Amino acid sequence: MKLKKYLSLTRAGIIEQLQFRMSMLVIVLGNLLYLTVVYFLWKAIYASSGTDVVNGMTFSDTLIYLVLATALFNFMEMYTVWQMGRSIQSGAIILDLIKPMNPRSYLFWTYSGNFVVNFFSTFLPTFIVVCIVTHGAVPLGTNLAYFVVSVVMAIMINYNIDFFVGTICIYTESIWGINIMKQVIVLLLSGATIPIAFFPEPFKSITMYLPFQSIYNAPLTLLLNGSPEMSDVGRILVTQFAWCVVTLVISRLFWKVSLKRITVNGG
Amino acid sequence: MKRKGLGFYLRIYVKILAQDIKSKMSYRADFFISTIGMICTNIAGFITFWILFRNFPSISGWNYYEMLFLYGFSLISLTPVQCLFDNNWSLRSYVYSGDFIKYCFRPINLFFYFQSEVFDIKGLGQLAFGIGTLVFAWVKIGLAFTPLMLLKLIVFLITASLIMIALQNAASATCFWIQNSFYILDLAYRFRDFAKYPVTIFSPVFKFIFTFIVPIAFIAYYPSLVILRPDTVPVLSWLSPVIGVVFFWLSYKFWMYGALKYNGTGS
Repeated sequence: MKLKKYLSLTRAGIIEQLQFRMSMLVIVLGNLLYLTVVYFLWKAIYASSGTDVVNGMTFSDTLIYLVLATALFNFMEMYTVWQMGRSIQSGAIILDLIKPMNPRSYLFWTYSGNFVVNFFSTFLPTFIVVCIVTHGAVPLGTNLAYFVVSVVMAIMINYNIDFFVGTICIYTESIWGINIMKQVIVLLLSGATIPIAFFPEPFKSITMYLPFQSIYNAPLTLLLNGSPEMSDVGRILVTQFAWCVVTLVISRLFWKVSLKRITVNGG
Repeated sequence: MKRKGLGFYLRIYVKILAQDIKSKMSYRADFFISTIGMICTNIAGFITFWILFRNFPSISGWNYYEMLFLYGFSLISLTPVQCLFDNNWSLRSYVYSGDFIKYCFRPINLFFYFQSEVFDIKGLGQLAFGIGTLVFAWVKIGLAFTPLMLLKLIVFLITASLIMIALQNAASATCFWIQNSFYILDLAYRFRDFAKYPVTIFSPVFKFIFTFIVPIAFIAYYPSLVILRPDTVPVLSWLSPVIGVVFFWLSYKFWMYGALKYNGTGS
């Protein structure tokens, strides 16, 4: 019955989200507006370049890549660092520590309801709009299955990194600064702001050795390639899996060590 | 009640500012990390820009240094909103918790008192970054430097900064009507990123929206034309100071309308 207690947290999260219908509407509309801006920006950029293919990416490739990166970002952003930082500052973290559940899992599963809601409210509509706008430039085949597997691992890597960064708040009691640094580094090096294919050479190779590209670049690369080589798919998925394990171990260890240093004022 | 003069407000502002800086200084680590975070954001923005222009030498007839000029210009004109109006981000939690009522009982202008409470020093890093970029672009383009040019630049920078302030005021004031205004505020904040592109790349509909409804084209594009393309300055450029003032005034009225309607939470 282990799964049941987690799923009840998911259910609570869904119900909580559905209470804020107005903000959901704003998110959906804001997202569409944002996508339109991105569309015109890149259209103009490609129009002034003179060629159709830049760095092996056509206009629709770039558009799909960036738009879905944004959608994935909205979908995966869990504000873990904010939540952890705030509860460390206020001392409310003690309530999570005495729960009969691992605080790591508790935090993750309380948020999982948002995954479900965000998937239907932002990711899916965005995906459909992109498919229509690019006239079927998104290949619909086995790559979708790879994509799903890849996104699940991306969520895990993203959460592990977030949890690691959130733990730093125990030492610094700074939230904004830590969070913005994490966000900037992850978004740039994962290819969410500009596709990694556009990076100049030494920079590009370096990002490939970092865990961040597994968050956005890996699933999107898998999605965009309709007829991939099995060896490529294997390589990407194995890399992601390796990063999953590595980031999990590191963030767990760091949390364990840091927990001894935690100070709660008053309580 | 006698109307208080400008000197009175200036004296009060300095006093409140001193208190704010004292309280910030008691969290030195946080201040230090936030400053680094801000610098990281600017560096990442610059890297994105640089990567983009390595792949595409010009966008809609705007070359690298001209775009750099726009970029620097937008960074500077976005500084006042960061430094002086950062308390807008906390408005919704004050309104939600009921603490906002404390601002209503002061015998000074409500808007002024609320905004003066926080001064965000880390915005100054952005200012330095912006000035550096602008000067570099200025020299590379080979623009002449005369006192008149400097005067024009300063006037247009100040009025351009009013636009973003107006957008943020209006976005944060929505919390007087809806519970969670974070997403609206966040959306307004995200539009800021598009201020650095020439508005001509957008389709007529969006050009209209970005000029008259969400006037982000006035943050950098229209005012910059006065300096970059002095031969073909559209009327809108000359009007931009007026538009800045009008939008600021409108947002102030909107903000105050919401604030005066505020009933408190009863506690």
